Order: sequence, then C-alpha cells, then structure tokens
Amino acid sequence: MSAPSVADQRPVVAPTLGFRRRLLDNTVVRNVGPFMPIVLLWWLIAELEVFPSAFFVGPDVVAVRLVELSRNGILTGYLADSLYRLGTGVLVGLLVGGVFGLIIGLSRVARRFAWPLLVFFQAIGDIAWLPLLIVWFGFSLLSVTAVIVYTVVFPLALSITAGIASVPEDMRRASASLGAGRWQTLTEVVLPGALPGVVSGMRTGLGYGWRALIAAEIIVGTSGIGFMMFDARRVGEVTDVFLGMIVLGVLWYALDALILAPLERETVERWGMVRRPAAAAK
Amino acid sequence: MSSDATYQRAGRLEVRALEKRYDDERTGDSVLALERADFEVEGGEFVALLGPSGCGKTTILNIVAGFISQTAGEVLVDGQAISGPGADRGVVFQSFALFPWKTVRANVAFGPKMRGMDKQERRQLADEYLELVGLSGFEDKYPHELSGGMQQRVGVARVLANQPAVMLMDEPFASVDAQTRMTLQEELTRIWQERRPTIVFVTHDVEEAVFLADRIVVLAPHPGRVREIVEVPLTRPRVWDDILGNDRFKETVHHVLGLLKAPQVTEQPTVEAET
Amino acid sequence: MPSLMALRRRAVNLLWFIAPFAALALVWVVAVELTDVPSRVFPALAEVWSAGVGMVADGSLWQHVGVSLQRTVTGAALAAVISIPFGILMGISRPVAAYFSPILRFSVALAGIAWIPLATLWFGFGNRAVIFIIFNAVFFSLTYNTMLGVSRIAPDMHRAARSLGAPRYRMFTEVYLPGSLPSVVTGLRIGMGYAWRGLIAAEIIATSAGLGYMLFLARRFYHTDIIVLSMIIIGLIWLAMDRFLLAPLERRTVERWGMVAGATR
Repeated sequence: MSAPSVADQRPVVAPTLGFRRRLLDNTVVRNVGPFMPIVLLWWLIAELEVFPSAFFVGPDVVAVRLVELSRNGILTGYLADSLYRLGTGVLVGLLVGGVFGLIIGLSRVARRFAWPLLVFFQAIGDIAWLPLLIVWFGFSLLSVTAVIVYTVVFPLALSITAGIASVPEDMRRASASLGAGRWQTLTEVVLPGALPGVVSGMRTGLGYGWRALIAAEIIVGTSGIGFMMFDARRVGEVTDVFLGMIVLGVLWYALDALILAPLERETVERWGMVRRPAAAAK
Repeated sequence: MSSDATYQRAGRLEVRALEKRYDDERTGDSVLALERADFEVEGGEFVALLGPSGCGKTTILNIVAGFISQTAGEVLVDGQAISGPGADRGVVFQSFALFPWKTVRANVAFGPKMRGMDKQERRQLADEYLELVGLSGFEDKYPHELSGGMQQRVGVARVLANQPAVMLMDEPFASVDAQTRMTLQEELTRIWQERRPTIVFVTHDVEEAVFLADRIVVLAPHPGRVREIVEVPLTRPRVWDDILGNDRFKETVHHVLGLLKAPQVTEQPTVEAET
Repeated sequence: MPSLMALRRRAVNLLWFIAPFAALALVWVVAVELTDVPSRVFPALAEVWSAGVGMVADGSLWQHVGVSLQRTVTGAALAAVISIPFGILMGISRPVAAYFSPILRFSVALAGIAWIPLATLWFGFGNRAVIFIIFNAVFFSLTYNTMLGVSRIAPDMHRAARSLGAPRYRMFTEVYLPGSLPSVVTGLRIGMGYAWRGLIAAEIIATSAGLGYMLFLARRFYHTDIIVLSMIIIGLIWLAMDRFLLAPLERRTVERWGMVAGATR
C-alpha cells in the first residue's frame, strides 16, 4: 500500500524478492503502475512538439490547469453537476428499471409480450431521444436527466428479466418442495438468482448512461464536464479538453473500483455464479 | 433437542393407476409417457425406480413431487392425495439445485426457515444434519467451494432436515465421479439405516438400484410402464467390498438386467445397464 | 418438410412478435386521438408514416441513412483491421497483456462520445471526426477483448499446437485467431454498441448529414414527425445490425464451439 516510511524502521528480514512480489501483487501498483510510462510517453510527445501545441498538450500543462480550475472552483462545480445528474438519473433508472424488470420477469406472458418492445426501445438508444426531449422540456436539466434514466432503465430491465429467466427450474422446484410459498420462493430464490443479471445490467447501464451524460451535456450545454470540454473546444482551449477526458476516465475508474467491482465481488463472485456471456443482457 | 433429531418422519406412498400423456410439440400427436403405474412404498422403505430413458421414471418422480400433473390416477402420501409440490415430499436433484447465494448451513436450514423455525433452533438443526452427512466444519462455506460429492451431501441433509414424509431422489449421484459415487451410495445406506426415512430413488444404474434398495420397481419404455417389482434379498448393512462378491447380488443384478433386455431383443440389441 | 404443427407454431411465434408492436401503435393512435396533442409536441402515427413516405420519395432518407452507414462501416472496418492483430500480439505474452489490461480498461471506459470535443478539434467538424469517433469506440473494446481472448487460450492448446510442429506464423492463424474469436466477436458487439450511440451524438454535434443530423435538424423546426421517424429508423438499423450481423456471429463462434467468451465490458 504505502512505501516503507521512516517510522516503519523494523528490521527487514524478508529480502528484496518478497518485497518485489508484494509490490507486484499490490492492487494499486498493478492498476496505476502501467499508466506511468504512458504518461511519460505523453509528456515526451508533447515536449518534442510532434503535434502542434494547439492540438496536443503535455501532462504538465494539464496538471497545472487541474490545480488552477480546482482552486477557482470551476472544475469541482462542473464535476459536482455531472455527478449529481448521473446519480439522480441512475437512481431513478434503477428504481424504474428494477420494478419493470421484476414485473416482466415474473410473468411468462408479460415477458413474451414486453421483450421485443424492450429490445426495440433499448435499440433506439438514449441519445436519439435527446432532440425530442429538448422539444418537450427545452434545453434543461430535466432533458439531461431523462436521457440518463432512459439509458439505465432498458439494459437493467432486460438483464433482470433475463436473470430471472435464468434461475434454474430445479432451484425453484427445490424451494417449493422444501415448503416455500410463492412469495418466499420469490424473495429467497428468484431475486437472489437474478442478481448476476442485475449487476451486469447495472454495468451496461452505467457504461451507457455516463456516455449519454457527456453527449447530453455537450448538446444541451449549460454546465458539467461534457459542457466544459466542448466549451473549451469552441475557444480552442485544448488543455481543458484533455483535462476533461482525464477527469472522466479517472471518474469511471473510481466508480468501477469503488462500487461495481466490490458489489460483484461480494455477490456473484463470492457465490461462484459466473456471469453468463451477455446473451440476452446486451 | 438432540433426541428430536434422531427421529425421522417416514410416510407411506401410494401410486395408483398413474398415467401421463404429452402433446408432442412438433407432430402434435398425443404421446403416452406413462401407462397405469401402480406401486406402494411402505413407511421407512427404500424403493428404487429403475429403467432406461423413456421409461417414465423421472415422470413418476416429477408427478409425485408435484412438479407436473398426471393425466389420470392419483398419488397418496399417508392416505392424502397430493396437489402441487410440498414439504412432505423432499427432492434431491441430479443437478443438486443448492442455492449458491446461501451458505451450506443456510441451505440446510432453508426448509425449517420456511416453516418459521427461529434462527437459533434451525441453525442447530442444520448443524446436526450436516454432521449426519459428514460435513461438519463446512457449515459456512458456499456450495461452489465444495466438490460435487460434498454438494450432494448437502442436498441430502437439506431434505432430511425438513422432515419430509417421503424423500425423492432423482438420479442424485449421476453427476459425480465413479469413486465418489460408491462412497455416497454407502453413506446413503448408512444414513437410511440410522434414520429410516422413506426413500424413492430414481436411477438407470442396475447395480446402484440393487445395492441401495429393498425393492426395485423395474420399468419398461415406450410407453413407460411397470414391468415387475423385484425384492432385493440382501442383508444390511451393505458395503461395496462385500456386496460385489455376493452371489445373491450378482443373481439379482442378472435377473433385473434380463427384465430390462427381454422384450426389446429384436428392436434394440442391447440395453446398456450403465451409461 | 415442415408439418402443419410446425407451421402453426411459427405463426404463433410471429404473432407474439408482432402483437407488442401492434399494441404500441394502437396506444399511440388512441392516445394522440384522445389527448389531441399538438403535432409539434408529439406526432400522430399517420404523420410519421407520411413523413417517411415523403423522405423516401425525395431520396433524402436514403442519403442520410447511407452517409451514417458508410461512416459506421468505415470506422468499424478500420478498427477491426488494426485492433485484431494488435490485440493478438499483446495477448500472446502474459506479462504484456497484464501490463496493458488496466490501460485498455481505462480507454474502453472513455471510448466513443467523450472523444467528440477532441475529435472535432483535431479533425474539424465533418466526416473525419465522426469516423474517428466510431473508430475509437470499436478500437479499444475490440483490442481489449481480443487480447483477453488470446491470453485465455489454454496453455495446453498452445503447447499442443507447438508440439504438433506449428511454426510461429501458423500459430497466429491456426491457434490465436480462432481461439480468441468468440472474445473478438463479443468485443466487436460491445464496441459497436458504443459506436452507434457515438455516431448519433457526433452527427448531432459535428456534421451536416446523417441520421443524427436529420434528427437534430428536425428539432430545430419542431418537426416531431421526422424526429420520431429518425428514432424508429435508428432503432431498426441497430436491431438489424445486431440481430443479423453481430448476434449470429457471436452465436456461431461462441455456441458452435461450446466456448464461453470471457469478455468484459
């Protein structure tokens, strides 16, 4: 985790080999380490002016700008805006998509009826809704949030439906013949069984939702990271565009590492339920 | 409470003139899967349903379990006609059907939990049954961390802990390796002797049926029907080392194999005893 | 020869497929009729239909669809040509794969839409920026999954092929490529999902032709009939691509060989 500090002066018995192993096994080192040479390469390319600096700036310039924009609160403000929209959209989307998926998943008739519709609406894609939403709600935050909700609802509903359908028949039978009623079978067997679907649906939904957020912020354009990037592009501030992308990337990485991955580890992986290849969940 | 645990419910099962017809999805013809099956299983008896595929043995088990419904006839447990699945008929599945999101202990405690038994009590109960099947120390593992043979032990404990009138086993050892299968078979006879539950055991393996059961309901295919009910003249306890060389075992296996082969000689030259 | 029963079953299946859409159309017609919603807020089904007929007649629909498809194919093909060999090369060595894994995951997360500002800065507004977006949406996902696919080929298979005397270059075509194919196809499918959305966004933002542009232009004049028409067409094209191109490809590789693609988003 941390490099040996001054306070940590206990005699090192294990020789360097053990330390190197530990260092290589460390998650942070494994995940951040590879980026170091890339950043160096990036810096070198910028420094040698392979591309004109109006189109390509180095990490040092971006870092300076990061500090500057964080200090004056612009970056943090935009970031908060984006995260707030993403958060609201995803929460509402999870709620709607979850309920939707459950209802559809639990009834065979509903499933058969709704499946083609779900697939079709998922295919239309979030961003294509934006113009219509703008007609309805204007260039407002509501339009942006609605797009994110839309993006999350369909993959989630589809995955939950598929997840419920994938609970093995034998498990439902086992539950019934151990004396579980309909409701008990639902809460004890069907819902946990559908969880891998929920997790993978959330992953897909977030992956799309957050792209939709950027696009919506660019198009609707009032605030947020997407807006910041496109606004900077308009005035030719390439540094801010680079900065925006880095922020987005780090954000996604954090989201994945702090929320999605632990969720998966605690459920699907712990239970040894391998996620099916995204057959229907796509 | 430990005196309670040694008690095992053992109900009587009657299968009366059971018939099952399917509509073939492709041709639309009505297919007779099972023709008037009649047999009884006494309380505490171990009966095997034996036959090649298509003989309706799994159909019988599924009807008895309440998973599918018959087109004619009836199934009685302790004189009561069954309808739908219920806790009085516990099923051990070939696929194990353990709940992967529950620990081994929680799997075994599932039935009692459904009945509303309080947490402490069902935990104790589960641990007792896990000890019975030789899985002490694995209570907090998840099913996927166990080998196939151990998973099926959990499957057995889960059903026994629920005190069913009849325990239904659907080719439970078909998906474990040969060595483990023999161990499990011996274990099952030991547990049965200790607790004396009523067991209906579906298999296509002649030696397995003879080794385990008191009586074997031999079924014939197309349409599925009862060919003969064979008494197994072997004493207990049964251990493979002794049984394999036992003449009565060999005779019974031979006799049952003959029953399975006899009518189809012209159409199907051989019927595999084991697959 | 299909029996009567099989025919009936097929008809029932078809009905089950049509019924939801018929119901949707019915709800649409009735809702518009009852609420009397102005067409600048939401169009009637008939208006969308006639808008479609009109755009087919004057050829503008084909033009927009053509442009969008051309961009998609160009970008995706370019990505495929580069990523697959690239991914295989990286996947052959485990340390290399382990090294690039986090970088590529980072890039996949960023691929597509987030590049629009930079793409328009580098290439200006127009075709090249859009193609670049498609390219990079597919590129990262495809490279990552190809690499993953190769690095997960069982070492036994590798050894078997080597000991059967396959020279290095033959390993490429005989082992690595087919072995990673299920994962490659999954990567392509995921990448195309991002690319298609990226295309629409990029066309809204950065061009004067294509489906996204058609969509956004219609918004400016409150032509909701054309907006909804565009949405339907966008959905239909994606469904057609996914169902008739990508899904069968995935099925043929993954299912026929009984392999499970270990792909990750």
